[in-house]
Amino acid sequence: MSDTDAGAVPDEALLRCADEPIAVPGAVQPHGVLLAVTEPDFDVVVASANAAELFGRAVETLDQVLGGVDLGALRAGLAGDLAEVSPLRVQVAGADVDLVLHRADGLLLTEWEPVRGAEQAGAAWHRRLPTVLQRLSATATLDELTAVLARDVRTVTGFDRVMVYRFDAEWNGEVIAEARRDGLEPFLGLRFPASDIPAQARALYATNWMRIIPDAGYRPIPLDPAVTPSTGRPLDLSGAMLRSVSPVHLEYLANMGVVSSMSISLIDDGRLWGLIACHHYAGPHRPSYADRVAAEFLGRTASLLLPTTIVAGEQTGIVEVAHRQAQLAAVVGRTPRELSAALADGDVTALDLLPAGGAAVRLNGQLRLLGTTPPADRVEPLVRALLAAGTPVTDAVSRVVPGGADLAATASGVLAVEVPGGRDDFLAWFRPETIREVTWGGNPYASKTAQTDAGPRLSPRRSFEAWSETVRETAQPWREHEVAAARALAGDLADAALSRAAEDDRLITALQRTLLLEELPKVAGVALAARYLPSADDVVGGDWYDLVPLPGGAVSLVLGDVAGHGLAAAAVTAQLRHALRAHLLRAPGPGAALDGLNEVIAALLPGEMATAVVVQLDPATGEVVVANAGHLPVLHATPSGAEFLADGRGPALGLLDAAGYRETRVRLSGEDRLLLFSDGLVERGRDGLASGLEKLRAAAAAAPAEPQALLDAVLAALDPRRPTTSPCWASPGPDRRAGGRRPV
Amino acid sequence: MLFDVERTTLAGRPSLTVRGELDLATAPQLAEAVDAQLAAGPEAFLVDLTHTVFMDSSGARELARTARKALAAGVGMHVLAPHRHGAVRLTIDLLELGSAMPIVDSAAAIGFVERDATP
Repeated sequence: MSDTDAGAVPDEALLRCADEPIAVPGAVQPHGVLLAVTEPDFDVVVASANAAELFGRAVETLDQVLGGVDLGALRAGLAGDLAEVSPLRVQVAGADVDLVLHRADGLLLTEWEPVRGAEQAGAAWHRRLPTVLQRLSATATLDELTAVLARDVRTVTGFDRVMVYRFDAEWNGEVIAEARRDGLEPFLGLRFPASDIPAQARALYATNWMRIIPDAGYRPIPLDPAVTPSTGRPLDLSGAMLRSVSPVHLEYLANMGVVSSMSISLIDDGRLWGLIACHHYAGPHRPSYADRVAAEFLGRTASLLLPTTIVAGEQTGIVEVAHRQAQLAAVVGRTPRELSAALADGDVTALDLLPAGGAAVRLNGQLRLLGTTPPADRVEPLVRALLAAGTPVTDAVSRVVPGGADLAATASGVLAVEVPGGRDDFLAWFRPETIREVTWGGNPYASKTAQTDAGPRLSPRRSFEAWSETVRETAQPWREHEVAAARALAGDLADAALSRAAEDDRLITALQRTLLLEELPKVAGVALAARYLPSADDVVGGDWYDLVPLPGGAVSLVLGDVAGHGLAAAAVTAQLRHALRAHLLRAPGPGAALDGLNEVIAALLPGEMATAVVVQLDPATGEVVVANAGHLPVLHATPSGAEFLADGRGPALGLLDAAGYRETRVRLSGEDRLLLFSDGLVERGRDGLASGLEKLRAAAAAAPAEPQALLDAVLAALDPRRPTTSPCWASPGPDRRAGGRRPV
Repeated sequence: MLFDVERTTLAGRPSLTVRGELDLATAPQLAEAVDAQLAAGPEAFLVDLTHTVFMDSSGARELARTARKALAAGVGMHVLAPHRHGAVRLTIDLLELGSAMPIVDSAAAIGFVERDATP
């Protein structure tokens, strides 16, 4: 005898078990007699060795043992469905015997089971059958269905314990319902490893609905002859109720302390779904054939109910998720912009789509977290790793991304979907760790082999002590409809983004026309140049520049910046630009114009903020008046250097209800230049704004005086890599040559 | 650099410590934290930008909105932005945010701390 772990069970042993001739054991159990006869003569071809005990003689033909009435009933029954005839109650030597019929190997197999010694549930139970059936079909959930099934099968069969046993995908079984005699320890929730029921037995169970072993300590009764003459093989007993079972199975039952057992298959759509397993411990137990048939009938009825019950159980979630999906699709359709906010802050959020602890919405590069999620800096790497591994849907993250094991509390399960559109956007849902206690009926990892004369052979388990295993770092599995809903939402988002992009293109074109000058107007006596460098991601920012000729011959140069980006900022920008134009035309000077603009924001655009600088230039005199509302200072470049204008400043527009902007004056001459610029040019320098400004000052001081060349030199020096929208304006003073030609 | 707004206590006063870059993308998080802070009904609170490495105009706009909300709620608000911390302080000064809310260089400069220090 050699004991080894299951992992080390010699293949040979498993094969030997698989080879066991369970359909053709060449023997029957002793609680009845089997006679295989010819039709129509009823000549006995094969008989079980116990035939003489029942019949009191050797039997050559059924005429010798059946009376005329019984014989007539038998002949009449053979024309129809044999299952309907069985059992035929006949008299044998003055005693009641149930005769059960089926055909195999070209013979009529007659099985004779004495009624005496069988337990009878009684006629009362059979009268209640309609009620029982109604009770079964009234159940709404799988739990209810299997509980009713276990209880009623136990009532009709009288077994000590009746379990409903469900197979998982790997053929491990779990006890999902149980009815038992008082005083027995519960098996409910126990799991049994797949190796407990070999594949060939399962195959037999899928066609043969019921097995009974009234006494597991029985001695098999051999068939005579062992080989059927007409076929040259042992008789096929796969459909016989008396079929002798595998010695391995009997040993298994004995190890469990089971004296008598019965099992009924539960078959869903042709596939073995589970078993009704009945155990008796007190002694041998044999329900009558009629009671067994009733129990089998309950099993068949339950099998018919299974698909709808299971589907109904899954449907509840499906309907819920589908409803949420529709709601979110509507949100996406209604809110093609600000999708991220709509999905994160709306009445129905992405987290509501399906049962999860947390969710992440990454749209347009912006990550929003909902509910309970890993820390923000871990979410994106985790999701990217899962997507890269090709396992975006998992209920055991640490098995795919071992580095994610420490996130088990929030993200043992992740359902991630990419949002198409090339922006690396995604949606993700997180489920926390559900620590599961899996209780096995005995340690599934400790199966044994025994050394026999015929070589090693699988020995049934001896230990059925409950053995618990804690399964960690796993979450509730994601269901198919949940994954489908998540993908559908991602698809909706991508579609919305596409149509939004097309719409944006149109709007942007229209807005740019209002925000920017198509070309700089010619202003006599002044040399002008401008650059506008929109960022690649965000074509319309909040920046604008403008040139407004004033009635007296002067001209106002404007550079402004509205906080925020995108179309919302652009809309504000358009309003401010036009409002400022109006104020510039009416107001006595740039400071008063900015006061007016500030009032516009306070009154009409509360909560918005903008900066603007206005340079009012009189080409005739070179006189310049500057007012600056929180904007970066104007740079004044002269042949001897460049300085920022520190005066004439006031707070950003929108900060105060009344600002009172001051002005500063400069007189331009010779090669003097004024440079206006927005923060995109300087703010993200390596050492921050101050160094950006200093770099700009130095570059402008060293640059050529000609405006286009000056801008080229400045841009080359500062290289604004992070292109927040950044228009640049070089507004030199009156050109010496231009000055000569200026109109009087 | 990661953005985060932490609710802390500074100089005995509820504070929001803003870490990272306060810009268009992160400003909504500040808004959320401010709303939560105001909902707690403090007498006054502090927005601490000592650990804010960058602030753009959207971030500044959020500060302005915060000041408005605090004013409307009758809650005192200070912004802590040390001068030595150049980039953010320079932005604040250019925008003259100080015209709409008290900007202080250190916690000790806050009026209410003086009250605590009174013997």
